Amino acid sequence: MVAAAAAAAAAMGKSRRSSKNSDRLEQEIDEKPAANGDVEEASDRDEESQPSDAASLSEDEGSPGSPVDSEEDNWDVSDDEDHRSGEESDSSEEEVPSRNTIGDVPLEWYKDEEHIGYDVAGRKIKKQARRDRIESFLAGVDDAKNWRKIYDEYNDEEVELTKEEVKIISRMLKGKTPHAGVDPYAPYVDWFVWDDKGHPLSNAPEPKRRFVPSKWEQKKVVQYVRAIRKGLIKFDKPKEEPHVYLLWGDDSSAAENKRHGLSYIPAPKPKLAGHEESYNPSVEYIPTQEEINSYQLMYEEDRPKFIPRRFESLRSVPAYEKALKENFDRCLDLYLCPRTRKKRINIDPESLKPKLPSRKDLRPYPRTCYLEYRGHTGPVKTISIDISGQWMASGSFDGTVRVWEIETSRCLRVWNVGEAIKHISWNPLPELPVLAISAGHDVLILDTGLGNAEEQARINELLHVEESKPEEDGGSTPVVSWVRDEKYDCIRLKHLKAVTTVEWHRKGDYFTTVVPSGDSRAILIHQLSKKHTQNPFKKLHGLPVSAVFHPTRSIFFISTKKNIRVYDLLKQKLVKKLETGVREVSSIAIHPGGDNVIVGSKDGKMCWFDMDLSSKSYKTLKAHPKDITNVAFHRSYPLFASCSDDCTAYVFHGMVYSDLNQNPLIVPLEILRGHTSSDGRGVLDCKFHPRQPWLFTAGADSIIKLYCH
Amino acid sequence: MPKHYRPPGKKKEGNAAKYITRTKAVHYLQVSLSTFRKLCILKGIFPREPKKKVEGNHKTYYHMKDILFLAHEPLLEKFRDIRAHKKKVKKALARKNRDLADRLLNREPTYKLDRLILERYPTFVDALRDLDDCLTMVHLFAALPAVEGERIQVERIHNCRRLSHEWQAYVSRTHSLRKIFISVKGIYYQAEVEGQKITWLTPHALQQVLTDDVDYNVMLTFSEFYAALLGFVNFKLYHSINVKYPPILDPRLEALAAELYALCRYISAGSGRLSGYPQAIASIEDGQREVEKTDTRTEESELRLAQLQHQLPANEPGALMHLMENTDDMDDEDHEKKECRNLFRNFKIFLSREVPRESLLFVIPAFGGVVSWEGDGSPFKESDEDITHQIVDRPTQGHVFLSREYVQPQWVYDCINARIILPAEKYLVGRVPPPHLSPFVDNEAEGYIPEYAETIKRLQTAAKKQVLPMPGIENQDLDDPQTLLVEGIIDRTEANEAAEKKRKLTMLEKQYHDELNMELQGITYSTSLSNKNLQSSVENVKEDTVTTLEESEDLSKVSMSRKKRKLYEAMKIGQERKKEKIKVLKERKKNAEASKTG
Repeated sequence: MVAAAAAAAAAMGKSRRSSKNSDRLEQEIDEKPAANGDVEEASDRDEESQPSDAASLSEDEGSPGSPVDSEEDNWDVSDDEDHRSGEESDSSEEEVPSRNTIGDVPLEWYKDEEHIGYDVAGRKIKKQARRDRIESFLAGVDDAKNWRKIYDEYNDEEVELTKEEVKIISRMLKGKTPHAGVDPYAPYVDWFVWDDKGHPLSNAPEPKRRFVPSKWEQKKVVQYVRAIRKGLIKFDKPKEEPHVYLLWGDDSSAAENKRHGLSYIPAPKPKLAGHEESYNPSVEYIPTQEEINSYQLMYEEDRPKFIPRRFESLRSVPAYEKALKENFDRCLDLYLCPRTRKKRINIDPESLKPKLPSRKDLRPYPRTCYLEYRGHTGPVKTISIDISGQWMASGSFDGTVRVWEIETSRCLRVWNVGEAIKHISWNPLPELPVLAISAGHDVLILDTGLGNAEEQARINELLHVEESKPEEDGGSTPVVSWVRDEKYDCIRLKHLKAVTTVEWHRKGDYFTTVVPSGDSRAILIHQLSKKHTQNPFKKLHGLPVSAVFHPTRSIFFISTKKNIRVYDLLKQKLVKKLETGVREVSSIAIHPGGDNVIVGSKDGKMCWFDMDLSSKSYKTLKAHPKDITNVAFHRSYPLFASCSDDCTAYVFHGMVYSDLNQNPLIVPLEILRGHTSSDGRGVLDCKFHPRQPWLFTAGADSIIKLYCH
Repeated sequence: MPKHYRPPGKKKEGNAAKYITRTKAVHYLQVSLSTFRKLCILKGIFPREPKKKVEGNHKTYYHMKDILFLAHEPLLEKFRDIRAHKKKVKKALARKNRDLADRLLNREPTYKLDRLILERYPTFVDALRDLDDCLTMVHLFAALPAVEGERIQVERIHNCRRLSHEWQAYVSRTHSLRKIFISVKGIYYQAEVEGQKITWLTPHALQQVLTDDVDYNVMLTFSEFYAALLGFVNFKLYHSINVKYPPILDPRLEALAAELYALCRYISAGSGRLSGYPQAIASIEDGQREVEKTDTRTEESELRLAQLQHQLPANEPGALMHLMENTDDMDDEDHEKKECRNLFRNFKIFLSREVPRESLLFVIPAFGGVVSWEGDGSPFKESDEDITHQIVDRPTQGHVFLSREYVQPQWVYDCINARIILPAEKYLVGRVPPPHLSPFVDNEAEGYIPEYAETIKRLQTAAKKQVLPMPGIENQDLDDPQTLLVEGIIDRTEANEAAEKKRKLTMLEKQYHDELNMELQGITYSTSLSNKNLQSSVENVKEDTVTTLEESEDLSKVSMSRKKRKLYEAMKIGQERKKEKIKVLKERKKNAEASKTG
């Protein structure tokens, strides 16, 4: 608005100036005395070029010329006076040297120039010296008329508006006519004189419709009458019926009193108030100031909604300010919350625990640490017990294989293989005390020298390899090369990649090795007597973890990371696929009966599979918080165990009944502790004694422990 | 064709077909969201939780059948009519057709909720079961400021006020109030009507402020339904005690804002009249047998007269009391009701100016007391000599009558919750009253018993023993299962401790007996051997307990299924939390006592 006003004012100043500067005005001024002298002549000459300054002003502003009445004379006079004063100022302004003649061009063109334009004579008009803000402000403070001053950018000068002009501007801002004297609604003066003319405009006869009642009105009336008669329009207020009555008569007829629609779920009732909500609760319900402050640190949801307060008397209890809000929240709950029926169990948590037979009845089982076998310098990765139950072999990351006498914990022999031992296993034949050791890329078939002379001779014969064999294979590179190792006087099976496990067949002639990164040559079956290697499983689904022979039948188990595949070796086909559902299988053990399998996983779960029951696990036991490293069955007792990186080994009772209708009974018996963690690893291997209910555990703390009953 | 493939345009199945999101439901019904909301509230339709949320987890799902139920609701059509009617009125007013507008306004379409109520609550008991929220809402609305120009209409508030008083009058009259609790939020009442426990909350009798953080449309819709429901419930209840329902009150009392008292008077007068009704008929009939039986008009007029006669004495308080007693004797009630009715039986209680009159006027007659208050229209004045108790809530009492006790209002409520008359010393004027405890809490289940609760328990048992030999109440015996149960509850914790002791004792005894037996059998065990045996067994037991303590938890957890294990752990966490809370309470108590003594 202000900007518009300023623009208007500037225009006004400019127009005034231009009107003054125009030749015609000068002419008028020249003529002025004459005009004053003879008004009639001027009016005769032309309406537009009226002698009065007011008319010229109004003309310049673009307002249409209106006939000047005698009433407006006084205004004219005042305007005349005004102009006269203006002219006086004009006369003083005559000295202002020049006016700009650049025309309607953008002023930016002269922005960088020293002049703002040219006067009539073509001389440059110099820019005035700029006053800085403080100066102009001070000048403004001093000057009471400052608010009327406007800077004319075009002529580079300040123009002071007169009071009249300010008035005009304010009127224009209000949307009124610029001059107060103008009457926009002047009475219309007809140009035609109507009186005494004698003839109507139209001479047509009066139409009939002026005399007969309206047909349409009548129709409307008939409509109304009919509507009233029919009762469509009623004038009296409807009668009020009683708004309450006996709604529920008798509740006897049950069939009728059934709620229709879907089953109704009643909204849960709001919680009843406890002691702490009392207006005068016991002292112990009132939190201390520190506690109240500590609520601020809590999460929004955990923060107590209600802080108990105590009032000395009933009269001092104030109105509860959240009453409306809480009621509203309840309303929202009632109509917005989805409702479902939920079974709330109100039972003792102890009753959830399964009824297990007493552990006393399930004895014997390993309970306490009886012996420790010390000697290894690195974590003991693997142990194996001789079938006779007299010897134990252990392999460690320090590259040594040791054979111990179990009962005395004496270390009989030590072999330094040089590489970290991955897996070790005794030959299951008692007359063939031979160890299969996997270390690095090789598998060693090592003679322990524990048999008598006759047996030794047989072993030596068995472990004899002709050196020429590898060359005979010729073209294709052999999967495994059987080599005689002179150092330990044993057979060395050289694989292409690292071997993780080696397991014997029950008859002691075949054994299998697993090379996890071997792709199509991952699982190999070797025959010791013929020094021959087969690769029957070309295609494996997933990374192999381990492979085991069935304890009684010619069945072969291959565990990949997710599944266990069971193959019939005679028919050479897949028998079953067990789905573990765990993240990563780490170990597998077969029940001596052969129908049950336990699988340990790296997420600490152990799955018991009943092969006759299903391909899913019969029971999943989550005992360990860390990876299970190994699982083991006892050969004769109904025991099995798992060991884990959390430094514990669990012993379970796992009874398998010969009655097929009865599911196996699994009872956790004992948690064996004692190993210490080293480098994040706990117990690395566990094995049962073949005849006694004893458990051997090999720890990452380079100790082997024997737990006895 | 496989089942999972559905060609376009074929019907949906399963959860996708059964459930519909709210937006879709609104589109389906072709109503605005606010109308849908209103319909849902009135019909009592709520969202459901589908097993599989087809459209997304963050949406609200309604069952398709519920929506169809709404679609066939006549109310839907009614709402549309109302909307159209409003438009008509607006149009008429805009055209300056005052006539038409007036005519239209006279015939505004209205709807009634009776059918809906019957549909939602087919039996009366269903309605009573859902009455909690209804009563709380109505009582809250009754406490809101009835100011013209506020967001809530004045008539509505007055209606709620009337309904709440009617309900209270019924509860008070039938002595079905059971528990009362004054909380910071207001006063909780629990009544037992037709076997249903109904709990409601009334705000304190102070001016409530209408806040801006609530949607009044929703609340008004709820209150509309609840007011209608409570109206019908009141009708049924009043009908059941033979009182004409929309009660006509004494305008003088109504003007004095003692509606509740007026109602009580009305009810007692009405029930008295109607209970005397058969007698009147009998007498009339006796008379008429001799004369004639045909003139029904005279019979009617006679009836009228009899009614009037019965109404007349009701205006005097003494006669009123008499009538009330008569009716009381006629009722055959259960033990609890009797107990409630007789709690303040011989008490005449006077309320001072500053106590919450409405609450006490409701509560004291509900437990058989006679009550009056300071002000016009009260049945008796403060100077009455028979007054036994005066309820006072001020720091000091100036003029004191020696014949009565001056107690704080909490005494009344505590007496009611304990069902005995508590000694008034602790509640006397100017004293800080003992803590007010919630009657809704089962202290034993909670695991923490506040001190004052124990005191009350002791007083209760003492009162029982006193009461028992009295001849008046012979029918309640020691064998009464309820009393036994009550007593059983009282020392459940003590019983637990005792049981523990007993077990230990029996164990020792058994051992002793075994030894004795052995001696008797003449087995010559050397004492040292037997000792050893004993020791070993003891050790065994010890070891066993230790191991079970340590490992049994882990071991049994191992063999649980995952679902059960998680449940077990969750329950354990809950128990832990509870224990933690109790620990905090005990700690605070200890601190408070320490600071008191120190």
